[in-house]
Amino acid sequence: MATSETTIVRLQSNDNQVMDVDKAVAERSLLIKNMLEDLGDAAASEIIPIPNVTEPVLRKVIDWCEHHRGDPPASNEEESDTRKRTTEIEEWDQKFMQVDQEMLFEIILASNYLDIKPLLDVGCKTVANMIKGKSPEEIRKTFNITNDFTPEEEEQIRRENEWAEDR
Amino acid sequence: MSRPATVMMPPAPNREDIGATWEYLQAGISKIMINLQDGMDMGTYMGIYTAVHNFCTSQKAVGLSQTGSGAAHRGAHLLGEDLYKKLIDYLNGHLADLLEQSKAHAEEALLTFYIREWDRYTTAAKYIHHLFRYLNRHWVKREMDEGKKGTHDVYTLHLVQWRTQLFEKVSEKVMSAVLMLVEKQRNGETIEHGQIKQVVDSFVSLGLDEHDSSKSTLDVYRYHFERPFLEATSEFYAAESTQFVAENSVVEYMKKAESRLNEEEERVRMYLHQDIATPLKKACNKALIADHSTLLRDEFQILLDNNREDDMKRMYNLLNRIPDGLDPLRQKFETHVRNAGLAAVSKVASDAEKLEPKVYVDALLGVHTQYQGLVKRAFNDEPEFTRSLDNACREFVNRNEICKAGSNRSPELLAKYTDVLLRKSGSGVEESDLDAVLTQIMTVFKYIEDKDVFQKFYSRMLARRLVHSTSTSDDAETSMISKLKEACGFEYTNKLQRMFQDIQISKDLNQGFKDHSKQLSEKQPLDSTYSILGTSFWPLAPPNTTFNPPAEVQDDLNRFTRFYKNKHDGRKLTWLWQLCKGEVKTGYCKSQKTPYTLQVSVYQMAILLLFNDKDVHSYEDIASITQLAPEALDGALGILVKAKVLLQKPDSAKPGAGQTYHLNYDFKNKKIRINLNIGTKSEAKQEEVETNKTIEEDRKLVLQSAIVRIMKARKKMKYNVLVGETISQIKGRFVPKVGDIKKCIEILLDKEYLERLDDDELGYLA
Repeated sequence: MATSETTIVRLQSNDNQVMDVDKAVAERSLLIKNMLEDLGDAAASEIIPIPNVTEPVLRKVIDWCEHHRGDPPASNEEESDTRKRTTEIEEWDQKFMQVDQEMLFEIILASNYLDIKPLLDVGCKTVANMIKGKSPEEIRKTFNITNDFTPEEEEQIRRENEWAEDR
Repeated sequence: MSRPATVMMPPAPNREDIGATWEYLQAGISKIMINLQDGMDMGTYMGIYTAVHNFCTSQKAVGLSQTGSGAAHRGAHLLGEDLYKKLIDYLNGHLADLLEQSKAHAEEALLTFYIREWDRYTTAAKYIHHLFRYLNRHWVKREMDEGKKGTHDVYTLHLVQWRTQLFEKVSEKVMSAVLMLVEKQRNGETIEHGQIKQVVDSFVSLGLDEHDSSKSTLDVYRYHFERPFLEATSEFYAAESTQFVAENSVVEYMKKAESRLNEEEERVRMYLHQDIATPLKKACNKALIADHSTLLRDEFQILLDNNREDDMKRMYNLLNRIPDGLDPLRQKFETHVRNAGLAAVSKVASDAEKLEPKVYVDALLGVHTQYQGLVKRAFNDEPEFTRSLDNACREFVNRNEICKAGSNRSPELLAKYTDVLLRKSGSGVEESDLDAVLTQIMTVFKYIEDKDVFQKFYSRMLARRLVHSTSTSDDAETSMISKLKEACGFEYTNKLQRMFQDIQISKDLNQGFKDHSKQLSEKQPLDSTYSILGTSFWPLAPPNTTFNPPAEVQDDLNRFTRFYKNKHDGRKLTWLWQLCKGEVKTGYCKSQKTPYTLQVSVYQMAILLLFNDKDVHSYEDIASITQLAPEALDGALGILVKAKVLLQKPDSAKPGAGQTYHLNYDFKNKKIRINLNIGTKSEAKQEEVETNKTIEEDRKLVLQSAIVRIMKARKKMKYNVLVGETISQIKGRFVPKVGDIKKCIEILLDKEYLERLDDDELGYLA
């Protein structure tokens, strides 16, 4: 399969917006990469429908892919534990993630759907950082969650998770 | 059950409805399984992927099962089991169809069918694996992380189902088709072996590790492919080879086996898995070689007798492939070489007394060279064969017809041949070739057991060459000594080297003496050179006759003695008259204007100088003036008479009392220089006898000193152990007899070097 840098693929969001993207950029998504491989040259000129992602989100994701196009391919499936555990995020990605909560979750969902592991990681880490150091009540406030536990239930959960508390 | 040729995709399903979702997916999967050749569009591809994704991420699946009962403890509830099960059901249905269809085919057609369907199935599996990637990434991963056996990623699942639903039911038939093809090829037909390669690949792919699906094993392939393949191979070649040897010669069979073995190796390379190479080779080796090894080995003697080098090489290569295949060959080879050596010696041994050393050594070398060449060319220069060759050579060099007379004959003749080579004008060997010939000498030397005998003879002959300056070249002498040193060590050549040095030192000494004499400004009656030889290094005995040297000689001698004593006080000089020689010129011959130069021994010189005073001397006069004992005098006179320098009257055969000797004024000879200093045969013979006698005596001393050395180091030793140790120390020089060692121990006990202790032990007495 000829994968020259300049090959263009056309992605169509679920609201029927078509955008041209370098093939190498689009292939940050393993879904798209596998599909292009499977279907081969015959299908390469077709528009690729992305039924689960809206235009703004897709554009945002493509931005990220554009910026990270040169990244070395992640050392397959299992990344080193240390990298996985840290919640550190590189500067560009931090800025990239300075979006409203709804967009943040859309990005996470899209990256999960499109199979872009590094982006999914960045998204989840961002959420994790938002939770870090907060009390349950603060967290509920942050994410607008209504407390549907009864006080008994809450007490039981607290006891079960006592070990994890930061004292 | 047949499926529609084209599959229409139903509309995208509600994400929470497993029924609708599956219906949608099944249509897509069928398209991939059956109709992929028609291509697939992006929409369908993305549709299927999205359906899987949506189902797995739906909040509440309207599922058939409620696996989520313990989900609270597993964190998020992952959906997917229903899809996974449906997929299995679908695959099983598809594979059942294939199994049914396969029954319509047999042999090659079955093979074609199997490969076609395998290709289609695995290609589809790759697609479906990608399309179900969301399931793989989450539900399957979780199941596997939790160690659930029997859950595989989607691609592996395809392989597992293929194996259990189809492969295990058809593999035998497929395999028999493969074996039939291979047999056809072995019988010379051309086959489409690409198919077999694909079958092999398929079988290998099915080897999944039950514990870790990311790893593969060759178990399935080994059991279903290798095992029957090897059985068929063994059967085929057992039958073929049995028939072939019944109808053809062994040599023909070897060629056949060789080409068959090559074919099989090529077969592995062409279309089999590398894993089979070793067991296949083993199976072939057994059927083609090991099962016929007796037959092959029986042929070996015939090949040896007829010197069929190529066939022997062939046999070597064949038998080398089976364990212990070559041992019997080596034994036969050893016996054969020994017999060849003995035969070669017998051929030249017809007249043992007059045997030329060169002829004998050449006979030994000839056999060695021939079979060493054979080892190199036919037996891959293998060390084991070389060892057999060495054993055989050692046998026939040390124990042959010539040696029957005396075991010392081999080293003696070898030393003599070396002397011939190193002596001036002896051999006719060019100096440039000399070193190569000396190397050959060393080849034989290596096999000589009684190396001390060689040493004895060699040192005597070296002494003679040095004293009479008859060496071809100093370089050749040093080269030979260093070769011996390399083979036997410093001690062996120590004396030889010292002899060589003495001669060098004597040269300087003579120069010194000449300078000294000039200063004395006396008249120099003689142009003399002296060799001063260390008594303990040289194998030379003092003269066995009294001698009164002529006055001319005596004067010079006295002068030299004074000169030498002045330099080295306290050294005793003993003159070895029997080795002295000189030249005299004839000033009396009528027929010749230029005088003859006679090269004579000092005894002859003493006799001739008498004729300066008188033309006639009686035997008694000569004897009394020279003081020579009769044997020495008779020998010296005999040659002078024979050469007609002196005329004996009356002219009886032997010199003796009552005869008179007249100077022959009519002496004539073609040459100007005439060598009259010729040793007689009997002298040479006597020297040989003496040498042999000293060997026995020396051996006793060598044995005794070895025993004392060992005991000094060990202090106490069992009798038998001491004997063994002595033998191993002495082996390099000669092969000692146990009886001799016992005698030597007795002597040492008598001399109180050793004492007897209890329990058969000996002790060392300081």
